Amino acid sequence: MKHGALFCAAAAAVLGACREAPSCPGDWCGTAVLVSAEPGVLLPPVTQTDADSWITAMVFSRLAELGSGLNTIGDSGFVPGLAEAWAWQDPTTVRFTLNPKARWHDGRPVTAQDVAFTFDVYRDPKVNAGARPLLEQIASVTPADSHTVVIRFRRTYPESFFDAVFQMWILPRHALDSVPRDRLSSHPFGRNPIGSGPFRFVRWTTGQSIELAGDSSYSLGRPGWRRVIWRFIPDVPAGVTQLVAGEADATSALLTPELLERLRGAPQLNLTPYALPAYSYIGFNLRAPGRPASPHALFSDRELRRAVTMAVDAGAAVRAVLGDLGEVPSGPFAPWLWIASDSVTPLPHDTAAAKRSLDDLGWRVDADGVRSSNGRRLEFDLLVPASSAPRRRIAVVVQDQLKRVGISMQITELDFNAFIARSQAGRFDAAFLSWVSDSPSPRSIRQTWSTAGIGGSNYLRYSSPEFDRLIDQAVAEADRGRAATLWHQAIAVINADAPAIWIYVPRPVLVAHRRFVNTALRPDLWTALLWQWRVNPEALTERDLVVVP
Amino acid sequence: MAGFLARRLGAAALVAFGVATLTFLLIHLSPGSPLAGSGENPYVSAEAIEQMRRNFALDRPIHIQYVRYIANLVRGDWGMSFTMHRPVINALRDALPNTLLLAGAALIVDFLFGIALGTLQGMRPGTRLDRVGSAVTLTLYSVPTFWLGLMLVLVFGQELGWLPVSGVVDPVLYPTRTVVGKLLDRGVHLILPALTLGLIGAAATARYQRAAMLEVVRQDFIRTARAKGLAEGAVARHALRNAILPTITLLGLALPTLLSGAVLVETVFAWPGMGRLAFEALQRRDYPVVTGAATLVALAVVAGNLVADVLTRIADPRTREPT
Repeated sequence: MKHGALFCAAAAAVLGACREAPSCPGDWCGTAVLVSAEPGVLLPPVTQTDADSWITAMVFSRLAELGSGLNTIGDSGFVPGLAEAWAWQDPTTVRFTLNPKARWHDGRPVTAQDVAFTFDVYRDPKVNAGARPLLEQIASVTPADSHTVVIRFRRTYPESFFDAVFQMWILPRHALDSVPRDRLSSHPFGRNPIGSGPFRFVRWTTGQSIELAGDSSYSLGRPGWRRVIWRFIPDVPAGVTQLVAGEADATSALLTPELLERLRGAPQLNLTPYALPAYSYIGFNLRAPGRPASPHALFSDRELRRAVTMAVDAGAAVRAVLGDLGEVPSGPFAPWLWIASDSVTPLPHDTAAAKRSLDDLGWRVDADGVRSSNGRRLEFDLLVPASSAPRRRIAVVVQDQLKRVGISMQITELDFNAFIARSQAGRFDAAFLSWVSDSPSPRSIRQTWSTAGIGGSNYLRYSSPEFDRLIDQAVAEADRGRAATLWHQAIAVINADAPAIWIYVPRPVLVAHRRFVNTALRPDLWTALLWQWRVNPEALTERDLVVVP
Repeated sequence: MAGFLARRLGAAALVAFGVATLTFLLIHLSPGSPLAGSGENPYVSAEAIEQMRRNFALDRPIHIQYVRYIANLVRGDWGMSFTMHRPVINALRDALPNTLLLAGAALIVDFLFGIALGTLQGMRPGTRLDRVGSAVTLTLYSVPTFWLGLMLVLVFGQELGWLPVSGVVDPVLYPTRTVVGKLLDRGVHLILPALTLGLIGAAATARYQRAAMLEVVRQDFIRTARAKGLAEGAVARHALRNAILPTITLLGLALPTLLSGAVLVETVFAWPGMGRLAFEALQRRDYPVVTGAATLVALAVVAGNLVADVLTRIADPRTREPT
């Protein structure tokens, strides 16, 4: 806060507007200024953007939380949240005992009725909660007494516990019970929420900031920061400027190598790249563009897809564009998912093999360097969202790599909305797609790549009975070791079929001021453990000592 | 004057209606949909997207949506934002004062610097001051707005640390400040964005003002004034009154740029104004916010032009209607 000096000089000249920085009252200080875009709403069932999830995760809490291993099968590794303990009554019934110290930020106790109410809200079609389909297997949520709640599932399945605790942020019944469900998302509560998480909502200054206060009576322990300010800076370079100038303390951002360099120039910041639950890939449309009944003229041919995939050196493209801010995945998942294994490998980059294969398929190189067969040139169009700089740049590198083996790829950049609209409608040859999920469960692979996903998120219309069978078995397998093996077999099938070239998993950078210690991070949601961060008492700044009257 | 004002206000209503209609049609016809935001989350089901479509009434034919929108608009209901889960009018009400503050400050920089420099240059054409002034204004005019903003941030924010680099206030200290302290806080945060937006405008204003002054100083009444031995300051005053008319017209023209074209400055300085609101809404295809922002800016521009016309009538007796 270098400009503070100028401000104070000016202000003191008028009225002595700047006060002396007061000393830390008691043993609890610390103000963190965090950077994000502005959220749309702070009501967990209807959150949509990253900012929505980041901030609601600090204000609300769940029954239990993922452990450090991010396991999603059974209940092993899960740590207490609002529930201090749980016990299985039978394979489809689990009984949670709520922490008696758990309080809403208005002082009322968190009860089993709140949990039942929350389930009712999430399942109500009028609310249209994003997690609603994921709660289908829960038959009932019933309070046994004010601090005990019983959850019954329709059937046993490996991720039942995960669904019961992970998909729902518990809501205060007393504040929302009287709100008509179809008006819930626009109710003022969403801009002035009452939660039971580590931080209490204080104020939302539209377009500028949200202020939170540490809840000293938080049931799991007092948060490390007394005050948190979320500054809204949607433009990443402008956010970087704030951090470098010392006006902000922390964020998690997808950066370009140039911006990372700028941050490295700021000695007060620690930088930690990690992997996001996301992956980007160049997907081949297996059906004719706009005519799903007919096969694609090029990409319905498995051998051709394999040849194109082998011609692309994803590693070189990612290194050239992202440096160490991206890594090549070995399948359609982030490398920190528990199913990741060295035994799963994508098709290797092998230009010679690609050329041989194309020759065998009858694609001969013409005078202009592009292959053709029976009068048809080996060329296709790649859709790229103009909003993604990495995808735009990588597409150009891939275009050059393909040219070397005689494949002509045109790049069509589209506005993000138009890109998604065309991808969903299947009007493309190939598309540079990406999936981002906030869930550490591998189930999204089934949604995007199985035959059942066609018409949903399986835009490429990939369909393999073998893959479907293995995935169905993997999802139903309760033993983690056997489930992992089934996942590996399924991924080996899809990798061999090459419906897509896995290009990169983006690595965002966790930026944190050096005065923060115990900076734990959970890759599925970087704000989940922020309440455990502490300010080094030896390194308090003027900002940490500010007390709001 | 009353008849003139009534005519202009009637025209303003027509312009607002036209802009609302055009924006509504263009944004609905452009590719992409407000529901595409979920396009990269594999867990959003087709059923959920269908429900959103019904909630936003996007399942109705476009002419029904249009008639409903205009009917609501006339009643003062600007609709609900798709992404912010709040009434559009509230979002506009939050953003407009920030934009007016920035535009106002930028206008002051623009016209104060522009008119002063242009007048000085015009009074002494061909001198060193004129040549240096021309070089400076031409350079400034050629510089992209965002680049100037970034340079100011780099120098005064990052390197010298004199001024805050973004935002409207310091969110950490603002709640602890006195009333005067709060005003000063807002003031220091306004300096860099207002300079960025204002200096580039000032360059253009100075060029216009210089040209207008050159026209005027060649006229007989100035020669007469000088021949009568009037002090140069008094001569400049007379010349300025005559040369200011084109610049006032420019004021009317500057408003649209300042109100809606400040997107880049608002982005660089994280300034929560209309430009940023509309731009973000456009990216997310938040139809009601885009249409609402365009209509409001159109109204503001019409109002700005009205002010410019009234000022012209005050400055130039020839444009007044005979009474």
